[in-house]
Amino acid sequence: MVSASRYLTYQGIPVWRHVQVIQWTAQIVSGILVVALVAWFFTNMANAIQDRDIPYGFSFLAREYQTPIGEHFIPYESSDTFLYAIIVGFTNTALVAVFGVVLATALGIFIGVSRLSGNWIVSKLATIYIEFFRNVPLLVQLFFWFYIVLALPPIRKGYVVFDWFYLSNRGFSIPWPHASNLSVALIWLALALAALVAGVLIYRRQSRNEELTGRAGYPLIYGAATAIALGALTWLALSFATGASPFFISVPEPHGRFGNLVGGFTARAGLLVLLIGLVMYTASFIAEIVRAGIQSVGRGQTEASRALGLSPMNTLRNITFPQALRVIIPPLISQFLNLTKNSSLGGAVAYSDLTSIAVTMTQTAPAVSIFMLIMASYLAMSLTWSLIGNLYNRHIQFGGR
Amino acid sequence: MASPSTHSPESMLPPRSEVGVIGWLHANLFSSPFNTVLTLISGVLLALGLWFGLKWIILIADWTVISELGGRFLLGRYNTEAACNGQNCFWRPQAALIMVSVLLGAAWGLRGNRVARTVAWLVAGVSAAFAFLPYSLETMGLDVRILLLLNLPAVPLGWALARYTPLGTGSRVTMLGVAIFFLTLVLLRGLPWLPFLQPVSVVYWGGLSLNLILAVGGITLSLPIGIALALGRRSNLPVVKVLCVFFIEVFRGVPLITLLFMSQTLVPLAFPEDMPQNSLFRAAVVITMFSSAYMAENIRGGLQALHPGQAEAARALGLPGWQTTLLISLPQAIRNVIPAIVGQFIGLFKDTSLVYIIGMLDVVAIGRSFIQSNPEFLPNARELFVFLAAVFWVFTYGMSYISGKVEEHLGVGRR
Repeated sequence: MVSASRYLTYQGIPVWRHVQVIQWTAQIVSGILVVALVAWFFTNMANAIQDRDIPYGFSFLAREYQTPIGEHFIPYESSDTFLYAIIVGFTNTALVAVFGVVLATALGIFIGVSRLSGNWIVSKLATIYIEFFRNVPLLVQLFFWFYIVLALPPIRKGYVVFDWFYLSNRGFSIPWPHASNLSVALIWLALALAALVAGVLIYRRQSRNEELTGRAGYPLIYGAATAIALGALTWLALSFATGASPFFISVPEPHGRFGNLVGGFTARAGLLVLLIGLVMYTASFIAEIVRAGIQSVGRGQTEASRALGLSPMNTLRNITFPQALRVIIPPLISQFLNLTKNSSLGGAVAYSDLTSIAVTMTQTAPAVSIFMLIMASYLAMSLTWSLIGNLYNRHIQFGGR
Repeated sequence: MASPSTHSPESMLPPRSEVGVIGWLHANLFSSPFNTVLTLISGVLLALGLWFGLKWIILIADWTVISELGGRFLLGRYNTEAACNGQNCFWRPQAALIMVSVLLGAAWGLRGNRVARTVAWLVAGVSAAFAFLPYSLETMGLDVRILLLLNLPAVPLGWALARYTPLGTGSRVTMLGVAIFFLTLVLLRGLPWLPFLQPVSVVYWGGLSLNLILAVGGITLSLPIGIALALGRRSNLPVVKVLCVFFIEVFRGVPLITLLFMSQTLVPLAFPEDMPQNSLFRAAVVITMFSSAYMAENIRGGLQALHPGQAEAARALGLPGWQTTLLISLPQAIRNVIPAIVGQFIGLFKDTSLVYIIGMLDVVAIGRSFIQSNPEFLPNARELFVFLAAVFWVFTYGMSYISGKVEEHLGVGRR
C-alpha cells in the first residue's frame, strides 16, 4: 500500500484523490460505455436486418409511392416518388405550423392581455379559457372538433355567408387570390415587395425626423401611402401591358349535382380540425406567457406612463408590451416548436401530415431510413424556429447591455 | 372659512359610488365607457354560453354512451374472456386500487396535512360511489361492488398505519408507495407460476388505469433523470456535457408520437431477438425520456436563475462540490421552478393519450374505438369527448392546485 501511494501519484497527489484524474477517468469510462452501447444496438440492428431480410437503405426514395395522399397543397399524383411524397408531407406540416403559429400568437396575445384586463368579466372569461384548454389533452380536443365538423350538415345544406364563405362537413371554403399568369404574378409580387421596402424606408426616415425635430410627421401615413400607391401603380401598369390583372380573387362556387365547391381555397375537414385544435390549445399557453411577460414589467413603468397622460391602450402598446417582449420571446419560440411538433397528431384527424405519411410509408419501405429522414425534417423545422426567434430576440434586447 | 380639520367624519367618507357593491361594480365593470362596452359584450357572450352550454348538458346531450362504455373506460379490455384466459381477474385492479387508498391514507396520517386528506377521501369516496352505479347485477356483480366499498375503510387503515406503527416516516411511506406501484404492476401483469395470478398480456391493459400507470411511473422517474441531465448539461466535463446536450436536444426536437412509433418499429431491432420484449415498457421508457429532456431544461432554468453567490458561499464554508449542488443549489433551483415542473408533469399526463399510435387502448383510444365500432353512437361522440375532457381536467387541475399548495407551504415568493 505504501509503495502504491508512492508511485501512483500525479502532480504529487495520489491519483484516486486527484480531482482531474478522477474526472477524466469517469468521462472516458462513461464515453466508452455509451459508444459500446450504441455499437451494440447497431450490431443487433445489422444482424436483425440480415437475418430477417428487413429492407434498408435509401434506394426506395426514387421508387413510386403509389399511395394517394388525402390532402396536398403542391400537385401530387400516386405515380410520384417516395421522396416527393415526403416533401408533400413536409409542406403539409409546414403549412399547418406557419398558419397555426400566426393564429395562435394573435389569439394568445389577445387572451393574455384580456386576462390582465381591469374588467372583471373579461379577465375571468380569459382565465376560464386558459384553465380549460391548457389542461385537456390536445388529442381529446382534436377528436372533439373532429366529431363536431363531422356532424356539420352536408355541403349542399352547409352554412353560407355572403356566398363567399362555405362551412360544411367537407371543410371551410373562403375566397382566395389566384394567379392568372404565373410569371406576371411573380413579377408583380417582386414589384410589390419593392414597394413595401420603399414604404418601410420612408416610414423609418419620417419617424427619425420626428424624433430629431419634435414635429409631428405622420410616418405611418406617408409610409403606407407610398407602399400602396407604388403597389397599385405597378398593378395597373402590368394589367395594361399584359391585358390581365396579376391576381384575381377566386370565389368558391357550388358545382354539379352534389354541390362540390370549385374555386377559392378549401380547408378540408382534417386541416380545419387540426388548425382549430392546435390554435386553441397553443393559444392558452401563449396567453400565460404573455401575461407573465407583461407582469414582469415593473409597475412603475405603467404608472409613469399613465402619469404622463398616455391612455391604457397606448401604455400597453408603446410602454409595457415592448419591454415585456424580451421576457416573452424565448418561451414563445418554444411554444412555436411545440405547435409544430404537435401537428404530428394530424394523422388522428385524417390530415396527411409528415408523421402520418411516414407511418403509412413504413408498410412498403424501410422504417429505419424513413424515420431518420423524418427526425431530420422535424429537427430542421425546430432549428428554423429557433433561428428566427434568436434573430428577433437579439433585435429587441436592450442596447448596450 | 373652515379648515379641513373641522370637517365632520361623515363628510370625509368616500362617495357611495366608490364603496360596497356599487363601488366594486364601478371599479371592475363600468369604470369607463370602453369598459362598459366590454362588460356588456362579454356579459352577453357569457350569458349565451351559459344558456346554450347548460341547455346542451341537461336537455340535449345523451350521456348513455358513457354508461355503455362502463368499466372499459377505466380498465380497457382488461376484464374480458380473452385477456384473462377464462379466469376471473376483475379483482386484481380492484386490489391495486385498495392499496392506493391505503397509501393515500398513510400519506394523510404522516403529515396530517389537509391536501392529502382531501385527496385520500376523494379517491376512496369516488371509488366507493361506483359501487352504487345503477347497473344490473349481471353487468356489475356484488363482489365488484364490495371490493369498491372496501376503499372506504382502507383510508383510515393507512392513516392508522402511519400514526401507530413504525411505518410513519416520510421515507418509509415513500418506499411503501414504490412497493405498491410495483405490486400493482405485478398484480395486473400476473405471474406464470401462481395459478390464481395467470399472466395478462399488456396489450389488454387500457383505459384510464393505463394513463395513470404511465403517468405515475413517468413522473416519478422523469424528475431525477431530468435533474441528472440538467446537472450534466451544466457540467464542465466536456464528454458528459456533449452527451447530455445531445440527448436533450434530440428528444426535444422530435414529436413524441414519432418517438413512440419508433419505439415499436426500431427499438426491438436494437436488442437481441431472444430478449423478452414488452411494448408497454418501451412506450413507458420513451415517454419518460421525452419528459426528462423537458424537465432538464426547466431545472437548468432554475439553476441559471440562482445567484452564483449561493454556490460560492457554500464552497467558502468548505462544502465539497456534490454537497453544494445537492444541499444548496438544487433545492433552491427546484423550488423556484415548481410551476414549470408541475406543468411538465401535467404535460406528461396529457401525453399518455398519445399511446394510441402504437395500438394501446388508453382512455381516449378506447372511447374512439367504441365510437368507430358502434356507429349508432356516432352522434354522441361529442358527449364522450366532453366527458373525457372533464376527466382529464379534474386530474390536471388537481395537480396544479396541489402544486400551488406546495408552493404556499414552501413559502415561494415570500422568502
